[in-house]
Amino acid sequence: MSTNLPAGKPPGDRLRASNRRTAFVLLAIAATFFVGIIGSRFIGGQAAGIGVLGGAAVLFLVVAIGRNLCDKR
Amino acid sequence: MSTIAHDHPAGLGDPHAHDDHAHHPTGITRWLTTTNHKDIGTMYLWFSFTMFLVGGTMAMVIRAELFQPGLQIVDPEFFNSMTTLHGLIMVFGAIMPAAVGFANWQIPLMIGAPDMAFARMNNWSFWLLPPAAMLLVISLFVPGGAASGGWTLYPPLTIQTGMGMDLTIFAIHILGASSIMGSINIITTILNLRAPGMTLMRMPLFCWTWLITAYLLIAVMPVLAGAVTMLLTDRHFGTTFFNAAGGGDPVLFQHVFWFFGHPEVYIIILPAFGIVSQIIPAFSRKPLFGYASMVYATAGIAILSFIVWAHHMFTTGMPTAGLLFFMYATMLIAVPTGVKVFNWLATMWRGSMTFEAPMLFAIGFLFLFTLGGFTGLILSVMPVDVQMQDTYYVVAHFHYVMVAGSLFAFFGGAYYWIPKWSGTMYNETLAKVHFWSSLISFNVAFFPMHFLGLAGMPRRIPDYAQQFADWNMVSSIGAFWFGASQLLFLHSMIQCARGNGSKAPARPWEGANTLEWTVPSPAPYHTFETPPHVH
Repeated sequence: MSTNLPAGKPPGDRLRASNRRTAFVLLAIAATFFVGIIGSRFIGGQAAGIGVLGGAAVLFLVVAIGRNLCDKR
Repeated sequence: MSTIAHDHPAGLGDPHAHDDHAHHPTGITRWLTTTNHKDIGTMYLWFSFTMFLVGGTMAMVIRAELFQPGLQIVDPEFFNSMTTLHGLIMVFGAIMPAAVGFANWQIPLMIGAPDMAFARMNNWSFWLLPPAAMLLVISLFVPGGAASGGWTLYPPLTIQTGMGMDLTIFAIHILGASSIMGSINIITTILNLRAPGMTLMRMPLFCWTWLITAYLLIAVMPVLAGAVTMLLTDRHFGTTFFNAAGGGDPVLFQHVFWFFGHPEVYIIILPAFGIVSQIIPAFSRKPLFGYASMVYATAGIAILSFIVWAHHMFTTGMPTAGLLFFMYATMLIAVPTGVKVFNWLATMWRGSMTFEAPMLFAIGFLFLFTLGGFTGLILSVMPVDVQMQDTYYVVAHFHYVMVAGSLFAFFGGAYYWIPKWSGTMYNETLAKVHFWSSLISFNVAFFPMHFLGLAGMPRRIPDYAQQFADWNMVSSIGAFWFGASQLLFLHSMIQCARGNGSKAPARPWEGANTLEWTVPSPAPYHTFETPPHVH
């Protein structure tokens, strides 16, 4: 998990921002498991599993490309 | 090993020693509002020991009833409530909070962090626990009594029981939220707040085991929450997740529960592995053998724990392919676990060992956890498990790994770190008596359960056939003796908390070389406000 801190801010703020990002990602994992285990009862295990993995891949690409574009600006 | 910034020497948790801060609350307000990881760790540990005594009392009720055949002391419904609450309280109220207490005290000290990443959320994580525990205890007094279907809460029985079950579901939700918040805190602290020079592969192994445990918690506690939420909606909101008549399946609950339940047992044992990995090198005066392989083995155990859940369900009618897959996957976990056991042995090999109480508990852990692991391997053989499922053989197995495993490691860790926490050395003679008394009584209580299980005695029964009488009596005597032995530990800890004992130096253990031993004993209220540089 990345600990890169956004530049141009005081160290304390950057650390807090990094902590918040880490916590958000972890909360998202927890939420995915909770929603997934119940949701899989309605849409089926395969659909839920593929949906989660596919969503994670798409999200990763969006974040990676988005950060790359922001850095270039 | 490190440069240490100024630290105000202070008694355990004395908030007045650092006069460069605004006035800190004292008394009850201090404990209710503290965001200090040391205070919160202390609260977790005292809470967990209190719940250990509560759950232990329930165990004494169980063993008193089982002392002789026949129904002498309690009625069967209450006995079932005792077995259910004993399991829930010990797992969620005693062992897990104890592990979090160790994490709160030790992780910031070991990585050179000033506190946990989310100090206020840390306070919340703890203070959710007492209300949840009260819900479980209060459930004994509601109409219908407490939940009595076993700690595994299988439907359809738990769909039908009284409001005690609803209180239990509510308690489990709260306990889960506490664990999830605590895990987020621990992961963020370890990843983001390590001191300069403290790379991940230089961290003490206790931090590694907790990092991996926290990821397990993040993944599986929501699954348990989902399972009990579905139970709740089946009970009150007309859903039929676990009702075959409505298109559901009771076995679905078992799958979901054990998808949580098996990683849960590794959540219980991995912090204990971490503690033992600190104690054995310290008292062998040798570095831990194979640090990298210990990290990879721990990660391997955690990953494999996700794919073995149905070994708790060998008798539910799964297809043969499924039975075989789960059998082989379960056996596979023995490999990384064996790596760890051999590494601990190799650490001791040709070490310059002394056998103070922490080391005694660590060696006791090593031997007895391995024994419990062997019975687990026996149970992993599906045709054997079909015979042993729901017998006392299983009860013996999990008590060996959870009591002689986790609990002994926690006792060892408490004796190891109490000089740092309190500034006072514990009484070594009393601690050794506690160890030997616990070791012998534990084996008297639980070894005969292997014989009972092999002879066919089922679990969760308040009365049993005459042929099981002798070993049950032996087991009950051992259990009473084990329970009484824990009062020695309570006495030792209270004496240390009060400062009745010799003053502890900063580093009472010659072979201990992690960062927490570089700060004074007792550890100052605030430590590492300036991060140390680890060379």
